[in-house]
Amino acid sequence: MKKIGLFLGCNIPLNRPDVEYSARYMLKELGVEIVELEGATCCPAYGTMPSLDIVGWAAASAWNLAIAEEKGVDTITGCGSCYGSINEAKYYMDKHPEIKQKVNEILGKVGKKYEGTATHWNFINYLHDNIGLDTLKEKIKYNLNGLTVALQTGCHNLWPSRAFPHTEENVFFPTKLKAVVEAIGGSAPNYSTLTDCCGMGALRSNAPDKSLALFKKKLEVIKEEINPDLCVTGCSSCLLQFDAGQALLAEQKKINFKIPALHIVQLVAIAMGAEVEKATAMASIPLNGVITKIKGGN
Amino acid sequence: MEEGGVNVIDLTQADESFIKELKELGAEELKECIQCGKCASTCPMALAGLEFFIKRIIHAANLGLRDILLEDSSVWGCQSCNRCVEVCPMDVVPYEVIQAVRRAAIKVESCPANTYEGLRNLYKFGHAVFPKGFEERRKKVGLPEKPPTALSNEELLKKYREVLRQTILEEIAPFPLD
Ligand code: SF4
Ligand code: SF4
Repeated sequence: MKKIGLFLGCNIPLNRPDVEYSARYMLKELGVEIVELEGATCCPAYGTMPSLDIVGWAAASAWNLAIAEEKGVDTITGCGSCYGSINEAKYYMDKHPEIKQKVNEILGKVGKKYEGTATHWNFINYLHDNIGLDTLKEKIKYNLNGLTVALQTGCHNLWPSRAFPHTEENVFFPTKLKAVVEAIGGSAPNYSTLTDCCGMGALRSNAPDKSLALFKKKLEVIKEEINPDLCVTGCSSCLLQFDAGQALLAEQKKINFKIPALHIVQLVAIAMGAEVEKATAMASIPLNGVITKIKGGN
Repeated sequence: MEEGGVNVIDLTQADESFIKELKELGAEELKECIQCGKCASTCPMALAGLEFFIKRIIHAANLGLRDILLEDSSVWGCQSCNRCVEVCPMDVVPYEVIQAVRRAAIKVESCPANTYEGLRNLYKFGHAVFPKGFEERRKKVGLPEKPPTALSNEELLKKYREVLRQTILEEIAPFPLD
């Protein structure tokens, strides 16, 4: 049986536990045993330790990786920052022995050690490269019935590719999330701002109007070019922007449409028969139409 | 500095030691920049219209314009997306320049208040993002009130704090690390 350490981060367990519920449901259905990473913390977020220095960043990430290594498992995350920050820290440690050594001096004081043996996955790559699309297809109860989906892989799932254990053939034209959505019966047409940033993150915290204006541009292109039923993200921060951020834009009358949004693990979990109320509990934009389309056509 | 609609940069402010400081803080390849603008063409900060976006920040850094860079808050709007790192033809690792400017700024306490809030939450709870009402949200989806992170394990949280106390946070944090 496959095993994986579920790396939760902050936003998923504390803001969007419906994504955590979905990830747990999906992994269970896929026959993957979830190993809890007791004592795990924030990745650390880019605006915290990474903005102080490299050793502090690496030590905070290595704390999390060491927990997984003790249990002998790889880790998986649904949050882009958690994927990027930990993999970048790992890249620095694995490439520069002097950083790794300093980190281990720090961890050693609390009886921990970073070796570098655990692979840190995101859900897109895990589903695509590890589980495989054929297995995924077999586990689906509800086919998406050609539901039109706008894809949002998320910045930190793509760049810097040099730091990532699994990547795309062309990081400026990612295809794995598309393949996953299509494998479960969705239709995921390309659109011209496919890899544009959603604006969530430091920009949203420090320049909220500019962040939302940037997001609005992307949304309008999505609406105009492919008019999707649903937006699907590979990152929980993108989900916050696509769902609550979009609802805010509509409330401010800056857009006159609302496209529902889900994280890829929510969509897959629903297609596998998860409880919809739980899998979408924190969504700001109603998903009734999408759910009817998924469940009605089967 | 607006003058007839043109931004004028006062080169008398140039500070060579700032360039050295940035290099020590991680911007090792700063000097390699040829100002080709490739980074800016993909940078969300630039697309969102922040005044100092990546190419200009690197230019200002190479001119040693310490005061301008430390006073301007643009670097804190960087998305850490690493598009610039991916496309830079000179391997400047532009994102590291942003981080170096942040690291220099935080030393002189020139950073947005939310930076400290994130650090305080990280130290206190093990979670930089720590929104109110999470217990209710978790109950709603049938999960235990606290996630199985350091939040549920005081002993490990203490150890994690001990890890952080051995880092530069100990020198920089404007709040007590007990
Ligand atoms: S892409 Fe690289 S070389 Fe070109 S302007 Fe940006 S940092 Fe300088
Ligand atoms: S990492 Fe920062 S500077 Fe580089 S492209 Fe992204 S937002 Fe711009």
